[in-house]
Amino acid sequence: MKLNKFRKKSPWILHYNTGGCNGCDIEILASLAPKYDIERFGALNKGNPKQADILLVTGPVTKRCKDVLRRLYLQMPEPKVVVAMGACGHGGGVFRNFYHVENGVDNIIPVDVWIPGCAPRPEALIDGIVEAIEILQTKSKEKEYIRNHNEIIDKLGAKDD
Amino acid sequence: MGKITIPFGSQHVALPEPVSFLFDTQNEIISDVHVNLGYVHRGIEKAAITKFDYTNLAFLLTRVCGLCSITHASGYIHGLEYLLNAEISKRAEYLRMLVIELDRMHSHLLANGHVAEVVGYENLFMQTFRYREKVMEILERLTGNRVQFDYYTIGGVRRDIDLEDAKEIKKELLELKPKLEKLTEFFETDYTFGLKTKNIGKITKEMALEYGVVGPIARASGVKTDARAEYEYLPYNEIGYKLQTRKDGDVLARNLVRQDEILNSLEMCLNILDNLPEGEIKVKTKGRPKGEVFVRVEAPRGECFYYLKGNGSKIFERVRIRVPTYANLPILKDLFIGEKYSDAQAIVLSFDPCMSCTAR
Repeated sequence: MKLNKFRKKSPWILHYNTGGCNGCDIEILASLAPKYDIERFGALNKGNPKQADILLVTGPVTKRCKDVLRRLYLQMPEPKVVVAMGACGHGGGVFRNFYHVENGVDNIIPVDVWIPGCAPRPEALIDGIVEAIEILQTKSKEKEYIRNHNEIIDKLGAKDD
Repeated sequence: MGKITIPFGSQHVALPEPVSFLFDTQNEIISDVHVNLGYVHRGIEKAAITKFDYTNLAFLLTRVCGLCSITHASGYIHGLEYLLNAEISKRAEYLRMLVIELDRMHSHLLANGHVAEVVGYENLFMQTFRYREKVMEILERLTGNRVQFDYYTIGGVRRDIDLEDAKEIKKELLELKPKLEKLTEFFETDYTFGLKTKNIGKITKEMALEYGVVGPIARASGVKTDARAEYEYLPYNEIGYKLQTRKDGDVLARNLVRQDEILNSLEMCLNILDNLPEGEIKVKTKGRPKGEVFVRVEAPRGECFYYLKGNGSKIFERVRIRVPTYANLPILKDLFIGEKYSDAQAIVLSFDPCMSCTAR
């Protein structure tokens, strides 16, 4: 199967805002627009987790969004890459230790690529996506399905989902 | 046919932010809707009175919302300057207005483009965003960042504008003007766009007054409300501000009001660049905030209200924010009932909802 090659050419993005300020989300919209045009790399913003390869998370993860984010991650098929965008995705940023904030994406799901900045420029976003595509290829060589499925479920604390 | 419940959100491709609508539909006609907010609640108001002192608070409050970041900074800093009795130079006020109006332009263009996308007109979305990118370039040249500017500072602005920049920005704005006029004409006369937006989500003037909606949504129904005209926090009457209204109150009218405001903002920016007064951009302030004050500023989405209460210490006693989307949400439930499910996305996005403002 030449699946890896095809994956490289068409990574679909699932975007979820977990309580950020909107700034990163409008930069994602801007990078879909003609000037930056992320579709050059085959990436499309699709709303369906079951068809997505890259999970693009913005925001510090509020307590209300925690469960939704976990479910989205589990619904995505292997191989998958998680990209955390923006300063508040990296440990909370300016919202660190607020009473309704979980201090970053890393506390809920494993993250592969970090895009720093508040808000990151579209160039930085494209750089992150390109890196995510490279990681996606190495991942798909290693495993096509989760071997230690039960272990991961235990680690995420998501037995009931 | 029986009742079918369709979830819209919290994660959906048309929504950049998490908000959840549950539609009860019968034969595609919406019969009831349950709105679920609060996915984005971070506890900013609590942190504003416990963690941040008054010099740093503007950095937190700009991050209430990325689209209208400058509005939140202006609401807070205008209030603080009143409490500190600071006199701001004319040049700083003009520069503040310049950035606020440019921010309004890019926010409105984003909203209009987004409506075009969800009604299935991808080409119009791309064109709108292409012109929006020019505004973003100007903002970056002025402030140094694309989204979170932090341009406001206590007593003035953070960066001055030099002659070369002013000339370049003026040139770019003049180039942009005919393109935006063409875009307005396109929104107004395009047949395909009109099919999905005319007479959809209609708000009459009586309804608008009863529910107390604000901003472009009220102005699209013919209600003359605008904090820039009602409350003099910046000298808007000097730079050619005009109140824009439309009568129809449907999705198209809301888009066109925004489009009119973009053109008015562009005029104002050109006037500011022509008549920029000389002087300092920042004055020093003394003392700590004591007393209470409320401020009304016009965000791109409508009137934004700030209440500040200081007791002479470094940290405020109360910071209350009431954002425009909060005022615009109750009418949404009434609008949905009786409409088709396929129009729901266009109605939501024509309100340009900002959930990170609303839930904070």
